[in-house]
Amino acid sequence: MLNGVRNAAIARKQAGGNDGMERKMAVSLKESVQLVSDPRHLDGSVEEVFQMMLGVACARFPGPVPQEEESVTAVVGFGGLLSGACVFRSGSSTAIKIAALMTGMEFAEVDDTVKDAIGEIGNMLAGAWKGKVPDLSANCGLSVPAVITGSNYNLHVQAPEFQLHHFYRFDESSFEVTIVCDGLQ
Amino acid sequence: MSEIRTLIVDDSSVMRKIVERSLRQAGLDTMVVYEAGSGTEGLDLLRSKQVDLILSDINMPSMDGLEFLRQVRAQNLAPGVPVVMITTESSEEHVKQAILAGAQGYIRKPFTAEQVKERVLPLLTAA
Repeated sequence: MLNGVRNAAIARKQAGGNDGMERKMAVSLKESVQLVSDPRHLDGSVEEVFQMMLGVACARFPGPVPQEEESVTAVVGFGGLLSGACVFRSGSSTAIKIAALMTGMEFAEVDDTVKDAIGEIGNMLAGAWKGKVPDLSANCGLSVPAVITGSNYNLHVQAPEFQLHHFYRFDESSFEVTIVCDGLQ
Repeated sequence: MSEIRTLIVDDSSVMRKIVERSLRQAGLDTMVVYEAGSGTEGLDLLRSKQVDLILSDINMPSMDGLEFLRQVRAQNLAPGVPVVMITTESSEEHVKQAILAGAQGYIRKPFTAEQVKERVLPLLTAA
């Protein structure tokens, strides 16, 4: 799953007609792992997206997120100077609440609009996170979001370069966001 | 402000609704909205409808927002109509690409209704 999304991001980055690509690929983030993996970037991105798009204050907490029968996951791949993915995951009740806050509509179940909303949350989180590091912002593409629903599944990545895995809550709802980097140029 | 005909292009129906709501909050409460779920749909719509404003996402499957905009300009589908790109991409390079493709404005997601107002209303006044 992650490979497919990441490859899509790489393909999108390459297809972007970026005339400065060769010049920019001389930029390296290899020496900047600490800067790129600064956990404050992720916290700031989550707070910004939830405040601006949902109008709620969102804060990190130690976790875990209470398990629900059904969960909703959005995956947005990174391609370019950094390869990996941004993964948002919540229970269905939180996903429904997020969609309701974004749209002003009510939902009884995780339908296509809820999935669409969670995909957009994943997209904005990925964009906001990479925007915190200028070289990453300019040299890393995003895939379109993939949304997965179901129960009893786990995210597993083999030996990532680095991984951030944070829990957040707003009101009585909680969710988790993971940044997986499996390659840094 | 008189009735504004607006085309919103985004593969996410949720984002189309949010953009519409932000525009209405910005004072365009009587506007007519046309929605397109892709660049191709947007081009088709412009062949049959006249619009006063276009807002488009960039990161879309099949035809992205920049290609959509290039086609709009190349086919002269909306002469003189301001186009604002709305996207998660925020680097100077992306803004430059959007302007080169023919955009007049750029809004980064996430955004507030106030930011939409600040970037869109001056374009309509100028037009």
